[in-house]
Amino acid sequence: MCLLIWLVIDIFLPCVPVSTAAEPWPENATLYQQLKGEQILLSDNAASLAVQAFLQMCNLPIKVVCRANAEYMSPSGKVPFIHVGNQVVSELGPIVQFVKAKGHSLSDGLDEVQKAEMKAYMELVNNMLLTAELYLQWCDDATVGEITHARYGSPYPWPLNHILAYQKQWEVKRKMKAIGWGNKTLDQVLEDVDQCCQALSQRLGTQPYFFNKQPTELDALVFGHLYTILTTQMTNDELSEKVKNYSNLLAFCRRIEQHYFGKGSSSIRLS
Amino acid sequence: MAAPLELSCWGGGWGLPSVHSDSLVVMAYAKFSGAPLKVNVIDNTWRGSRGDVPVLTTEDNTISQPAKILNFLRKQKYNADYELSAKQGADTLAYIALLEEKLLPAVLHTFWVESDNYFTVTKPWFASRMPFPLSLILPGRMSKGALTRILLTRGEPPLYHLREVEAQIYRDAKECLNLLSNRLGTSQFFFGDMPSTLDAYVFGFLAPLYKVRFPKVQLQEHLKQLSNLCRFCDDILNSYFRVSLGAFSCVNRNEQQIDFGEVHSHDSTTCKLIAPDWRYSK
Repeated sequence: MCLLIWLVIDIFLPCVPVSTAAEPWPENATLYQQLKGEQILLSDNAASLAVQAFLQMCNLPIKVVCRANAEYMSPSGKVPFIHVGNQVVSELGPIVQFVKAKGHSLSDGLDEVQKAEMKAYMELVNNMLLTAELYLQWCDDATVGEITHARYGSPYPWPLNHILAYQKQWEVKRKMKAIGWGNKTLDQVLEDVDQCCQALSQRLGTQPYFFNKQPTELDALVFGHLYTILTTQMTNDELSEKVKNYSNLLAFCRRIEQHYFGKGSSSIRLS
Repeated sequence: MAAPLELSCWGGGWGLPSVHSDSLVVMAYAKFSGAPLKVNVIDNTWRGSRGDVPVLTTEDNTISQPAKILNFLRKQKYNADYELSAKQGADTLAYIALLEEKLLPAVLHTFWVESDNYFTVTKPWFASRMPFPLSLILPGRMSKGALTRILLTRGEPPLYHLREVEAQIYRDAKECLNLLSNRLGTSQFFFGDMPSTLDAYVFGFLAPLYKVRFPKVQLQEHLKQLSNLCRFCDDILNSYFRVSLGAFSCVNRNEQQIDFGEVHSHDSTTCKLIAPDWRYSK
Protein backbone atom coordinates (compact mmCIF):
# COMPACT_ATOMS: atom_id res chain seq x y z
CA MET A 1 0.00 0.00 0.00
CA CYS A 2 2.79 2.41 0.99
CA LEU A 3 4.63 1.45 -2.14
CA LEU A 4 1.53 2.26 -4.20
CA ILE A 5 1.22 5.70 -2.61
CA TRP A 6 4.90 6.35 -3.12
CA LEU A 7 4.63 5.34 -6.79
CA VAL A 8 1.60 7.55 -7.30
CA ILE A 9 3.34 10.53 -5.72
CA ASP A 10 6.45 9.84 -7.73
CA ILE A 11 4.49 9.89 -10.96
CA PHE A 12 2.24 12.86 -10.32
CA LEU A 13 4.45 15.18 -8.31
CA PRO A 14 6.65 16.29 -11.20
CA CYS A 15 3.51 17.35 -13.07
CA VAL A 16 2.26 19.55 -10.24
CA PRO A 17 3.40 23.11 -10.86
CA VAL A 18 5.49 24.25 -7.93
CA SER A 19 5.71 27.97 -7.39
CA THR A 20 9.46 28.28 -7.40
CA ALA A 21 9.35 31.63 -9.13
CA ALA A 22 8.73 33.34 -5.81
CA GLU A 23 12.11 32.41 -4.39
CA PRO A 24 15.15 34.19 -5.73
CA TRP A 25 18.30 32.32 -6.68
CA PRO A 26 20.12 31.49 -3.44
CA GLU A 27 23.80 32.15 -2.87
CA ASN A 28 24.56 28.58 -1.89
CA ALA A 29 23.34 26.85 -5.05
CA THR A 30 25.57 23.87 -5.78
CA LEU A 31 26.31 21.73 -8.80
CA TYR A 32 27.33 18.13 -8.21
CA GLN A 33 29.51 16.11 -10.55
CA GLN A 34 31.95 13.25 -10.24
CA LEU A 35 35.54 13.72 -9.08
CA LYS A 36 37.24 15.94 -11.58
CA GLY A 37 40.73 14.62 -11.60
CA GLU A 38 40.33 10.87 -11.34
CA GLN A 39 36.80 9.79 -12.04
CA ILE A 40 34.77 11.93 -14.41
CA LEU A 41 34.46 10.78 -18.01
CA LEU A 42 34.31 12.71 -21.26
CA SER A 43 30.53 12.74 -21.72
CA ASP A 44 29.75 13.64 -18.10
CA ASN A 45 32.37 16.37 -18.09
CA ALA A 46 30.83 17.82 -21.26
CA ALA A 47 27.35 17.81 -19.71
CA SER A 48 28.60 19.41 -16.50
CA LEU A 49 30.52 22.10 -18.36
CA ALA A 50 27.44 22.88 -20.47
CA VAL A 51 25.36 23.49 -17.34
CA GLN A 52 28.10 25.59 -15.76
CA ALA A 53 28.39 27.67 -18.94
CA PHE A 54 24.63 28.13 -19.08
CA LEU A 55 24.46 29.33 -15.47
CA GLN A 56 27.39 31.68 -16.04
CA MET A 57 25.62 33.11 -19.07
CA CYS A 58 22.53 33.71 -16.93
CA ASN A 59 24.75 35.35 -14.30
CA LEU A 60 23.67 32.92 -11.62
CA PRO A 61 26.31 31.94 -9.09
CA ILE A 62 26.94 28.25 -8.61
CA LYS A 63 29.45 26.27 -6.59
CA VAL A 64 30.83 23.10 -8.14
CA VAL A 65 31.13 20.19 -5.72
CA CYS A 66 32.74 16.89 -6.68
CA ARG A 67 31.39 13.69 -5.18
CA ALA A 68 32.26 10.14 -6.15
CA ASN A 69 28.62 9.02 -5.97
CA ALA A 70 27.14 11.99 -7.85
CA GLU A 71 25.58 9.66 -10.42
CA TYR A 72 23.64 7.84 -7.71
CA MET A 73 22.62 11.00 -5.90
CA SER A 74 21.06 12.40 -9.05
CA PRO A 75 17.26 12.03 -9.34
CA SER A 76 17.51 10.82 -12.94
CA GLY A 77 20.78 8.93 -12.68
CA LYS A 78 22.57 11.43 -14.88
CA VAL A 79 25.06 14.11 -13.99
CA PRO A 80 25.30 16.97 -13.41
CA PHE A 81 22.55 17.97 -11.06
CA ILE A 82 22.03 21.19 -9.17
CA HIS A 83 20.81 21.66 -5.63
CA VAL A 84 18.99 24.98 -5.34
CA GLY A 85 17.08 25.77 -2.16
CA ASN A 86 15.17 22.56 -1.56
CA GLN A 87 14.99 21.52 -5.22
CA VAL A 88 17.20 19.04 -7.01
CA VAL A 89 17.21 19.18 -10.81
CA SER A 90 19.40 17.19 -13.19
CA GLU A 91 20.40 17.51 -16.84
CA LEU A 92 20.53 20.62 -18.97
CA GLY A 93 16.96 20.47 -20.35
CA PRO A 94 15.16 20.39 -17.00
CA ILE A 95 17.67 22.88 -15.52
CA VAL A 96 16.89 25.36 -18.32
CA GLN A 97 13.16 24.97 -17.55
CA PHE A 98 13.79 25.37 -13.83
CA VAL A 99 15.86 28.51 -14.32
CA LYS A 100 13.17 29.87 -16.63
CA ALA A 101 10.56 29.35 -13.91
CA LYS A 102 12.76 31.48 -11.66
CA GLY A 103 12.58 34.27 -14.21
CA HIS A 104 15.92 33.91 -16.01
CA SER A 105 15.99 32.94 -19.64
CA LEU A 106 18.46 33.26 -22.48
CA SER A 107 16.08 32.46 -25.30
CA ASP A 108 13.21 34.87 -24.64
CA GLY A 109 14.33 37.15 -27.42
CA LEU A 110 14.00 34.45 -30.08
CA ASP A 111 10.94 34.12 -32.28
CA GLU A 112 9.12 30.81 -32.78
CA VAL A 113 11.11 29.70 -35.81
CA GLN A 114 14.41 30.45 -34.05
CA LYS A 115 13.30 28.57 -30.97
CA ALA A 116 12.47 25.57 -33.16
CA GLU A 117 15.92 25.81 -34.74
CA MET A 118 17.59 26.06 -31.36
CA LYS A 119 15.81 22.96 -30.09
CA ALA A 120 16.64 21.12 -33.30
CA TYR A 121 20.36 21.92 -33.02
CA MET A 122 20.41 20.92 -29.37
CA GLU A 123 18.96 17.56 -30.37
CA LEU A 124 21.60 17.28 -33.09
CA VAL A 125 24.35 17.75 -30.50
CA ASN A 126 22.73 15.19 -28.20
CA ASN A 127 22.05 12.77 -31.01
CA MET A 128 25.48 12.85 -32.61
CA LEU A 129 28.14 14.37 -30.35
CA LEU A 130 26.98 12.92 -27.06
CA THR A 131 26.33 9.49 -28.57
CA ALA A 132 29.74 9.55 -30.26
CA GLU A 133 31.38 10.40 -26.93
CA LEU A 134 29.55 7.54 -25.24
CA TYR A 135 30.57 5.22 -28.07
CA LEU A 136 34.19 6.22 -27.81
CA GLN A 137 34.23 5.82 -24.06
CA TRP A 138 32.41 2.55 -23.73
CA CYS A 139 32.46 0.70 -27.07
CA ASP A 140 36.00 1.38 -28.35
CA ASP A 141 38.14 -1.33 -26.79
CA ALA A 142 41.35 0.66 -26.67
CA THR A 143 39.76 3.57 -24.80
CA VAL A 144 37.76 1.28 -22.52
CA GLY A 145 40.81 -0.68 -21.49
CA GLU A 146 43.18 2.22 -21.00
CA ILE A 147 41.02 4.98 -19.67
CA THR A 148 37.35 4.33 -18.97
CA HIS A 149 37.40 1.26 -16.75
CA ALA A 150 40.16 2.64 -14.60
CA ARG A 151 38.57 6.04 -14.20
CA TYR A 152 34.97 4.95 -13.71
CA GLY A 153 35.71 2.55 -10.88
CA SER A 154 38.55 4.50 -9.28
CA PRO A 155 36.79 5.60 -6.05
CA TYR A 156 35.67 2.07 -5.23
CA PRO A 157 37.54 -0.89 -3.79
CA TRP A 158 38.10 -4.13 -5.65
CA PRO A 159 35.94 -5.91 -6.86
CA LEU A 160 33.28 -3.20 -6.88
CA ASN A 161 35.26 -1.05 -9.29
CA HIS A 162 35.25 -3.78 -11.95
CA ILE A 163 31.62 -4.75 -11.39
CA LEU A 164 30.32 -1.19 -11.69
CA ALA A 165 32.40 -0.50 -14.77
CA TYR A 166 31.21 -3.66 -16.53
CA GLN A 167 27.61 -2.97 -15.57
CA LYS A 168 27.78 0.54 -16.98
CA GLN A 169 29.45 -0.71 -20.14
CA TRP A 170 26.71 -3.30 -20.63
CA GLU A 171 24.04 -0.63 -20.18
CA VAL A 172 25.64 1.72 -22.69
CA LYS A 173 26.19 -1.05 -25.25
CA ARG A 174 22.54 -2.04 -24.93
CA LYS A 175 21.50 1.51 -25.63
CA MET A 176 23.83 1.78 -28.62
CA LYS A 177 22.34 -1.37 -30.08
CA ALA A 178 18.78 -0.08 -29.57
CA ILE A 179 19.45 3.13 -31.49
CA GLY A 180 21.30 1.42 -34.32
CA TRP A 181 24.87 2.38 -33.38
CA GLY A 182 25.78 -1.14 -32.28
CA ASN A 183 27.28 -2.10 -35.61
CA LYS A 184 29.08 1.13 -36.33
CA THR A 185 32.83 1.18 -36.61
CA LEU A 186 34.95 3.89 -35.04
CA ASP A 187 35.55 5.43 -38.46
CA GLN A 188 31.83 5.73 -39.12
CA VAL A 189 31.34 7.35 -35.72
CA LEU A 190 34.12 9.86 -36.47
CA GLU A 191 32.43 10.55 -39.83
CA ASP A 192 29.22 11.37 -37.98
CA VAL A 193 31.11 13.68 -35.61
CA ASP A 194 32.61 15.43 -38.61
CA GLN A 195 29.18 15.86 -40.17
CA CYS A 196 27.81 17.26 -36.95
CA CYS A 197 30.71 19.71 -36.57
CA GLN A 198 30.30 20.76 -40.18
CA ALA A 199 26.62 21.49 -39.60
CA LEU A 200 27.41 23.47 -36.43
CA SER A 201 30.18 25.36 -38.19
CA GLN A 202 27.93 26.26 -41.11
CA ARG A 203 25.16 27.37 -38.78
CA LEU A 204 27.55 29.50 -36.69
CA GLY A 205 29.17 31.11 -39.72
CA THR A 206 30.96 34.31 -38.74
CA GLN A 207 28.61 35.23 -35.90
CA PRO A 208 29.87 35.39 -32.32
CA TYR A 209 27.07 33.12 -31.07
CA PHE A 210 24.54 30.88 -32.75
CA PHE A 211 21.77 33.45 -32.51
CA ASN A 212 23.95 36.41 -33.25
CA LYS A 213 24.75 38.73 -30.39
CA GLN A 214 23.45 36.89 -27.33
CA PRO A 215 24.36 33.41 -26.18
CA THR A 216 21.61 30.87 -25.59
CA GLU A 217 21.46 27.40 -24.08
CA LEU A 218 22.54 26.04 -27.46
CA ASP A 219 25.83 27.94 -27.17
CA ALA A 220 26.30 26.55 -23.66
CA LEU A 221 25.68 22.99 -24.84
CA VAL A 222 27.95 23.23 -27.88
CA PHE A 223 30.67 24.86 -25.80
CA GLY A 224 30.45 22.14 -23.14
CA HIS A 225 30.92 19.35 -25.65
CA LEU A 226 33.48 20.92 -27.96
CA TYR A 227 35.66 22.33 -25.18
CA THR A 228 35.73 18.98 -23.42
CA ILE A 229 36.63 17.16 -26.62
CA LEU A 230 39.41 19.64 -27.35
CA THR A 231 40.97 19.58 -23.91
CA THR A 232 40.64 15.94 -22.87
CA GLN A 233 43.48 13.54 -23.41
CA MET A 234 42.22 10.39 -25.13
CA THR A 235 44.06 7.32 -26.48
CA ASN A 236 44.04 8.89 -29.91
CA ASP A 237 43.42 12.45 -30.95
CA GLU A 238 41.12 11.74 -33.84
CA LEU A 239 38.04 13.13 -32.14
CA SER A 240 39.64 16.47 -31.31
CA GLU A 241 41.24 16.61 -34.76
CA LYS A 242 37.77 16.48 -36.29
CA VAL A 243 36.72 19.52 -34.27
CA LYS A 244 39.98 21.39 -34.95
CA ASN A 245 39.21 21.35 -38.66
CA TYR A 246 36.65 24.08 -38.10
CA SER A 247 38.33 27.32 -37.11
CA ASN A 248 35.14 29.21 -36.30
CA LEU A 249 34.22 26.54 -33.74
CA LEU A 250 37.66 26.89 -32.12
CA ALA A 251 37.26 30.67 -31.97
CA PHE A 252 33.78 30.18 -30.52
CA CYS A 253 35.12 27.98 -27.72
CA ARG A 254 37.95 30.38 -26.92
CA ARG A 255 35.55 33.31 -26.86
CA ILE A 256 33.21 31.69 -24.35
CA GLU A 257 36.09 30.40 -22.26
CA GLN A 258 37.61 33.86 -21.94
CA HIS A 259 34.35 35.72 -21.51
CA TYR A 260 32.55 33.47 -19.06
CA PHE A 261 35.26 31.51 -17.36
CA GLY A 262 37.58 34.46 -17.02
CA LYS A 263 40.77 32.77 -18.11
CA GLY A 264 43.47 35.04 -19.41
CA SER A 265 44.90 32.58 -21.87
CA SER A 266 43.02 29.76 -23.45
CA SER A 267 43.72 26.16 -22.51
CA ILE A 268 42.83 25.00 -25.99
CA ARG A 269 46.02 23.84 -27.64
CA LEU A 270 46.32 23.82 -31.37
CA SER A 271 49.27 21.42 -31.71
CA MET B 1 20.94 4.27 -67.01
CA ALA B 2 22.74 1.77 -64.82
CA ALA B 3 21.29 -1.49 -63.64
CA PRO B 4 17.99 -0.92 -61.87
CA LEU B 5 18.02 -0.17 -58.18
CA GLU B 6 15.64 -2.36 -56.28
CA LEU B 7 14.08 -1.29 -53.07
CA SER B 8 12.51 -3.88 -50.86
CA CYS B 9 10.12 -2.41 -48.32
CA TRP B 10 6.85 -2.81 -46.48
CA GLY B 11 3.72 -2.20 -48.50
CA GLY B 12 1.03 0.41 -48.34
CA GLY B 13 -2.43 0.91 -47.01
CA TRP B 14 -4.90 3.64 -46.10
CA GLY B 15 -3.87 5.60 -49.19
CA LEU B 16 -0.15 5.46 -48.47
CA PRO B 17 2.51 3.79 -50.61
CA SER B 18 3.98 2.34 -47.42
CA VAL B 19 2.91 2.32 -43.78
CA HIS B 20 6.48 1.93 -42.54
CA SER B 21 8.20 5.25 -41.79
CA ASP B 22 11.70 4.31 -42.94
CA SER B 23 10.43 2.79 -46.18
CA LEU B 24 8.32 5.86 -46.83
CA VAL B 25 11.29 8.19 -46.29
CA VAL B 26 13.29 6.35 -48.95
CA MET B 27 10.39 6.17 -51.40
CA ALA B 28 9.67 9.89 -51.00
CA TYR B 29 13.33 10.83 -51.46
CA ALA B 30 13.53 8.70 -54.59
CA LYS B 31 10.54 10.52 -56.02
CA PHE B 32 11.94 13.93 -55.14
CA SER B 33 15.35 13.25 -56.62
CA GLY B 34 14.09 11.36 -59.66
CA ALA B 35 15.90 8.14 -58.79
CA PRO B 36 14.50 5.19 -60.75
CA LEU B 37 13.63 2.64 -58.08
CA LYS B 38 11.98 -0.68 -58.61
CA VAL B 39 9.86 -1.13 -55.54
CA ASN B 40 9.44 -4.70 -54.31
CA VAL B 41 6.77 -4.86 -51.66
CA ILE B 42 7.36 -7.50 -49.02
CA ASP B 43 4.76 -10.19 -49.20
CA ASN B 44 4.03 -13.39 -47.38
CA THR B 45 6.13 -15.64 -49.53
CA TRP B 46 9.57 -16.58 -48.31
CA ARG B 47 11.26 -14.34 -50.84
CA GLY B 48 13.52 -11.69 -49.44
CA SER B 49 14.50 -10.94 -45.89
CA ARG B 50 12.51 -8.95 -43.42
CA GLY B 51 15.22 -7.68 -41.17
CA ASP B 52 16.53 -4.17 -41.60
CA VAL B 53 13.85 -3.11 -44.05
CA PRO B 54 14.06 -0.97 -46.24
CA VAL B 55 16.88 -2.51 -48.23
CA LEU B 56 18.28 -1.16 -51.47
CA THR B 57 19.81 -3.76 -53.75
CA THR B 58 22.17 -2.68 -56.48
CA GLU B 59 24.36 -4.74 -58.76
CA ASP B 60 27.25 -4.79 -56.32
CA ASN B 61 25.88 -4.51 -52.84
CA THR B 62 22.92 -4.14 -50.52
CA ILE B 63 22.36 -1.10 -48.35
CA SER B 64 20.02 -0.82 -45.41
CA GLN B 65 18.97 2.08 -43.15
CA PRO B 66 17.46 5.20 -44.71
CA ALA B 67 20.44 7.48 -43.97
CA LYS B 68 22.84 5.17 -45.79
CA ILE B 69 20.46 4.60 -48.69
CA LEU B 70 19.99 8.35 -49.15
CA ASN B 71 23.77 8.87 -49.04
CA PHE B 72 24.18 6.24 -51.72
CA LEU B 73 21.54 7.83 -53.94
CA ARG B 74 23.24 11.19 -53.53
CA LYS B 75 26.55 9.70 -54.64
CA GLN B 76 24.77 8.32 -57.70
CA LYS B 77 23.87 11.92 -58.53
CA TYR B 78 20.26 11.66 -57.38
CA ASN B 79 20.45 14.64 -55.11
CA ALA B 80 17.34 16.44 -53.92
CA ASP B 81 19.40 18.96 -51.94
CA TYR B 82 21.64 20.56 -54.55
CA GLU B 83 19.77 23.83 -54.39
CA LEU B 84 20.09 24.16 -50.64
CA SER B 85 22.57 26.54 -49.05
CA ALA B 86 25.13 25.30 -46.53
CA LYS B 87 23.05 26.60 -43.63
CA GLN B 88 19.93 24.86 -44.95
CA GLY B 89 21.90 21.63 -45.21
CA ALA B 90 22.93 22.06 -41.57
CA ASP B 91 19.32 22.79 -40.60
CA THR B 92 18.28 19.56 -42.34
CA LEU B 93 20.58 17.50 -40.10
CA ALA B 94 19.35 19.31 -37.01
CA TYR B 95 15.67 18.83 -37.79
CA ILE B 96 16.18 15.16 -38.62
CA ALA B 97 17.82 14.77 -35.19
CA LEU B 98 14.81 16.52 -33.64
CA LEU B 99 12.43 14.13 -35.40
CA GLU B 100 14.37 11.08 -34.26
CA GLU B 101 14.69 12.19 -30.66
CA LYS B 102 11.30 13.77 -30.02
CA LEU B 103 8.80 12.37 -32.49
CA LEU B 104 9.99 8.85 -33.16
CA PRO B 105 9.45 7.46 -29.61
CA ALA B 106 5.80 8.53 -29.68
CA VAL B 107 5.26 7.17 -33.21
CA LEU B 108 6.81 3.86 -32.17
CA HIS B 109 4.60 3.84 -29.10
CA THR B 110 1.43 4.55 -31.11
CA PHE B 111 2.17 1.78 -33.61
CA TRP B 112 3.88 -0.92 -31.57
CA VAL B 113 3.42 -0.47 -27.85
CA GLU B 114 -0.07 0.92 -27.24
CA SER B 115 -1.93 -2.38 -26.88
CA ASP B 116 -5.23 -1.40 -28.51
CA ASN B 117 -3.45 -0.11 -31.59
CA TYR B 118 -0.93 -2.93 -31.75
CA PHE B 119 -3.38 -5.82 -31.45
CA THR B 120 -6.15 -4.42 -33.66
CA VAL B 121 -4.18 -2.72 -36.41
CA THR B 122 -0.40 -3.12 -36.50
CA LYS B 123 0.01 -6.80 -35.70
CA PRO B 124 -2.64 -8.11 -38.12
CA TRP B 125 -1.34 -5.88 -40.90
CA PHE B 126 2.29 -6.97 -40.56
CA ALA B 127 1.39 -10.59 -39.84
CA SER B 128 -0.58 -10.79 -43.08
CA ARG B 129 2.58 -9.90 -44.93
CA MET B 130 4.73 -12.58 -43.38
CA PRO B 131 4.68 -16.28 -44.10
CA PHE B 132 3.66 -18.65 -41.37
CA PRO B 133 5.26 -19.26 -38.84
CA LEU B 134 7.20 -15.99 -39.09
CA SER B 135 3.90 -14.15 -38.71
CA LEU B 136 3.64 -15.48 -35.18
CA ILE B 137 7.12 -14.42 -34.10
CA LEU B 138 8.28 -11.37 -35.99
CA PRO B 139 5.58 -8.81 -35.08
CA GLY B 140 6.15 -9.58 -31.40
CA ARG B 141 9.86 -9.12 -31.87
CA MET B 142 9.36 -5.79 -33.65
CA SER B 143 7.08 -4.66 -30.83
CA LYS B 144 9.63 -5.64 -28.22
CA GLY B 145 12.33 -3.81 -30.16
CA ALA B 146 10.24 -0.63 -30.22
CA LEU B 147 9.57 -0.84 -26.48
CA THR B 148 13.25 -1.41 -25.73
CA ARG B 149 14.25 1.56 -27.82
CA ILE B 150 11.75 3.83 -26.07
CA LEU B 151 12.78 2.70 -22.59
CA LEU B 152 16.52 2.81 -23.18
CA THR B 153 16.51 6.27 -24.72
CA ARG B 154 13.86 7.93 -22.57
CA GLY B 155 13.47 5.80 -19.50
CA GLU B 156 15.53 6.29 -16.42
CA PRO B 157 17.50 3.63 -14.65
CA PRO B 158 17.00 1.62 -12.54
CA LEU B 159 13.27 1.18 -13.00
CA TYR B 160 12.83 1.69 -16.76
CA HIS B 161 9.09 1.94 -16.30
CA LEU B 162 6.96 2.65 -19.33
CA ARG B 163 4.28 4.54 -17.43
CA GLU B 164 6.75 7.16 -16.32
CA VAL B 165 7.87 7.96 -19.82
CA GLU B 166 4.58 7.68 -21.70
CA ALA B 167 3.32 11.10 -20.70
CA GLN B 168 6.71 12.66 -21.37
CA ILE B 169 7.14 11.18 -24.85
CA TYR B 170 3.70 12.28 -25.98
CA ARG B 171 4.33 15.75 -24.60
CA ASP B 172 7.63 15.91 -26.48
CA ALA B 173 6.01 14.63 -29.67
CA LYS B 174 3.26 17.24 -29.55
CA GLU B 175 5.86 19.94 -28.97
CA CYS B 176 7.87 18.63 -31.91
CA LEU B 177 4.78 18.70 -34.16
CA ASN B 178 4.12 22.30 -33.09
CA LEU B 179 7.74 23.23 -33.86
CA LEU B 180 7.51 21.62 -37.30
CA SER B 181 4.26 23.42 -38.01
CA ASN B 182 5.81 26.75 -36.98
CA ARG B 183 8.83 26.09 -39.16
CA LEU B 184 6.75 25.10 -42.19
CA GLY B 185 4.42 28.07 -41.92
CA THR B 186 2.61 28.63 -45.19
CA SER B 187 5.33 27.39 -47.56
CA GLN B 188 4.79 24.38 -49.68
CA PHE B 189 7.98 22.63 -48.56
CA PHE B 190 10.45 23.26 -45.78
CA PHE B 191 13.03 24.96 -48.00
CA GLY B 192 11.11 26.86 -50.65
CA ASP B 193 9.36 25.34 -53.64
CA MET B 194 11.29 22.15 -54.19
CA PRO B 195 11.15 19.18 -51.83
CA SER B 196 14.38 18.06 -50.19
CA THR B 197 15.70 15.44 -47.78
CA LEU B 198 14.01 17.08 -44.80
CA ASP B 199 10.64 16.96 -46.57
CA ALA B 200 11.17 13.25 -47.20
CA TYR B 201 11.90 12.60 -43.53
CA VAL B 202 9.00 14.68 -42.24
CA PHE B 203 6.65 13.04 -44.72
CA GLY B 204 7.92 9.59 -43.78
CA PHE B 205 7.30 10.16 -40.08
CA LEU B 206 4.04 12.09 -40.34
CA ALA B 207 2.11 10.37 -43.13
CA PRO B 208 1.58 7.00 -41.37
CA LEU B 209 0.56 8.86 -38.22
CA TYR B 210 -1.85 10.95 -40.25
CA LYS B 211 -3.49 8.29 -42.37
CA VAL B 212 -3.53 4.98 -40.51
CA ARG B 213 -6.76 4.50 -38.58
CA PHE B 214 -6.08 3.64 -34.96
CA PRO B 215 -8.39 3.12 -32.00
CA LYS B 216 -6.18 5.20 -29.67
CA VAL B 217 -5.48 8.42 -31.51
CA GLN B 218 -4.21 11.15 -29.17
CA LEU B 219 -1.18 12.04 -31.26
CA GLN B 220 -3.16 11.74 -34.48
CA GLU B 221 -5.78 14.16 -33.15
CA HIS B 222 -3.05 16.66 -32.33
CA LEU B 223 -1.55 16.30 -35.80
CA LYS B 224 -4.92 16.83 -37.45
CA GLN B 225 -5.21 20.18 -35.71
CA LEU B 226 -2.04 21.37 -37.43
CA SER B 227 -3.58 21.96 -40.81
CA ASN B 228 -0.40 23.01 -42.61
CA LEU B 229 1.29 19.69 -41.79
CA CYS B 230 -1.78 17.77 -43.02
CA ARG B 231 -1.80 19.85 -46.18
CA PHE B 232 1.92 19.10 -46.60
CA CYS B 233 1.31 15.33 -46.45
CA ASP B 234 -1.69 15.48 -48.77
CA ASP B 235 0.21 17.59 -51.30
CA ILE B 236 3.07 15.12 -51.49
CA LEU B 237 0.69 12.16 -51.75
CA ASN B 238 -1.25 13.80 -54.55
CA SER B 239 1.72 15.10 -56.52
CA TYR B 240 4.21 12.27 -56.17
CA PHE B 241 2.25 9.16 -55.28
CA ARG B 242 -0.84 9.29 -57.41
CA VAL B 243 -1.76 5.63 -57.52
CA SER B 244 -4.62 4.07 -59.41
CA LEU B 245 -5.31 1.18 -57.07
CA GLY B 246 -8.12 -1.27 -57.35
CA ALA B 247 -9.85 -2.65 -54.27
CA PHE B 248 -7.49 -3.82 -51.55
CA SER B 249 -9.56 -6.79 -50.68
CA CYS B 250 -8.82 -9.07 -53.59
CA VAL B 251 -7.83 -12.56 -52.68
CA ASN B 252 -5.80 -14.67 -55.00
CA ARG B 253 -4.96 -18.12 -53.80
CA ASN B 254 -2.93 -19.00 -56.86
CA GLU B 255 0.71 -18.15 -57.11
CA GLN B 256 -0.04 -15.27 -59.42
CA GLN B 257 1.17 -11.77 -58.92
CA ILE B 258 -1.46 -9.17 -59.53
CA ASP B 259 -0.21 -5.99 -61.03
CA PHE B 260 -1.97 -3.28 -59.04
CA GLY B 261 -1.27 -0.58 -61.52
CA GLU B 262 1.45 1.86 -62.15
CA VAL B 263 2.68 4.62 -59.92
CA HIS B 264 2.97 7.78 -61.95
CA SER B 265 5.66 10.12 -60.80
CA HIS B 266 5.73 13.79 -61.64
CA ASP B 267 8.32 13.38 -64.35
CA SER B 268 6.28 10.61 -65.97
CA THR B 269 8.67 7.74 -65.33
CA THR B 270 6.71 4.85 -63.99
CA CYS B 271 7.58 2.14 -61.58
CA LYS B 272 5.35 -0.83 -61.11
CA LEU B 273 3.97 -1.73 -57.74
CA ILE B 274 3.93 -5.49 -57.74
CA ALA B 275 1.22 -6.58 -55.37
CA PRO B 276 1.70 -9.65 -53.27
CA ASP B 277 -0.37 -12.75 -53.26
CA TRP B 278 -2.93 -11.71 -50.67
CA ARG B 279 -3.67 -14.42 -48.23
CA TYR B 280 -5.47 -13.25 -45.15
CA SER B 281 -4.54 -15.20 -42.05
CA LYS B 282 -7.12 -14.64 -39.40
